[in-house]
Amino acid sequence: MICCKECIDLLYDYIEGSLEQETSKSLEEHFEECPPCIAFLNTYKSTTTICRDTLNQIEIPDEVRRTLQSFLKEHKNQEEKK
Amino acid sequence: MSFTQQKEDKEIEEALVRDLQAGNLDAYDKIAELYQKKIYALSFNLMRNQMDAQDVTQEVLLTLFRKINTFQSKSAFSSWVYRITLNASYMKLRSKKKEPNVSIDELLPSFNGAGFQQEKIQDWSENTESLLFTNETHEVINKAVGLLPEKEKVVFLLRDVEGLSTEKVSGILDLTIPAVKSRLHRARLFLRKKLSGYFEEYNSKKGET
Ligand SMILES: [Zn+2]
Repeated sequence: MICCKECIDLLYDYIEGSLEQETSKSLEEHFEECPPCIAFLNTYKSTTTICRDTLNQIEIPDEVRRTLQSFLKEHKNQEEKK
Repeated sequence: MSFTQQKEDKEIEEALVRDLQAGNLDAYDKIAELYQKKIYALSFNLMRNQMDAQDVTQEVLLTLFRKINTFQSKSAFSSWVYRITLNASYMKLRSKKKEPNVSIDELLPSFNGAGFQQEKIQDWSENTESLLFTNETHEVINKAVGLLPEKEKVVFLLRDVEGLSTEKVSGILDLTIPAVKSRLHRARLFLRKKLSGYFEEYNSKKGET
């Protein structure tokens, strides 16, 4: 049986689905006998999801948007004069 | 993203680049409309400061317009935009006082001699829902990402947050695919550990009441 360390080293490729069938099988055998590694797998996956959902909520604040707009307008005017 | 969507995006990009290179000023607005949010979000996530992110966004937009003739169409336009954004953000960060680096290794999982997990692992993955939309949780997550060392942070932001492919990230950062994978894995392990402390504490509090 593979150990926890090997199991965690393989998690990335396991989630991507890029492991050889045999390796994938021995990993799943490990999970069956090791609840901590299942907990690890679940929280590893959750980490990506919750970080992505949180960081993707960033919107450009209105005052920044306005600044960018006038900045672009000014720059365009300069270019047009050339 | 579907294949046709990708293809359409690519065509829109190519047309915009041609317009810009031809000096068509209307293309400025379109480029800004398409990319300013991505530029702002990436630079904000790297620097965590609104003013700095605004400065970088302005600077990047200007660079896009001024340097458009140096853009080589053999790589994707968006990759070029990300690269310019990263460079501008790093320049900005370097001009500021540096915070002490956290060692990522201390937060990686630990094993006993036989390779088995040493710490108790709690599964908090089912219990994040009610916490996810609180300001406190946002702060914890933002802080955790902020603590990532730069090398790991940028891979995490591009791959897991932006959702770019491993290949694209490897092109933008000029890293091999295995290097991208290993940095991303380390970033996830680091963040998992950081977030575990927070969610486990919440779960144990909930258990008491
Ligand atoms: Zn295990």
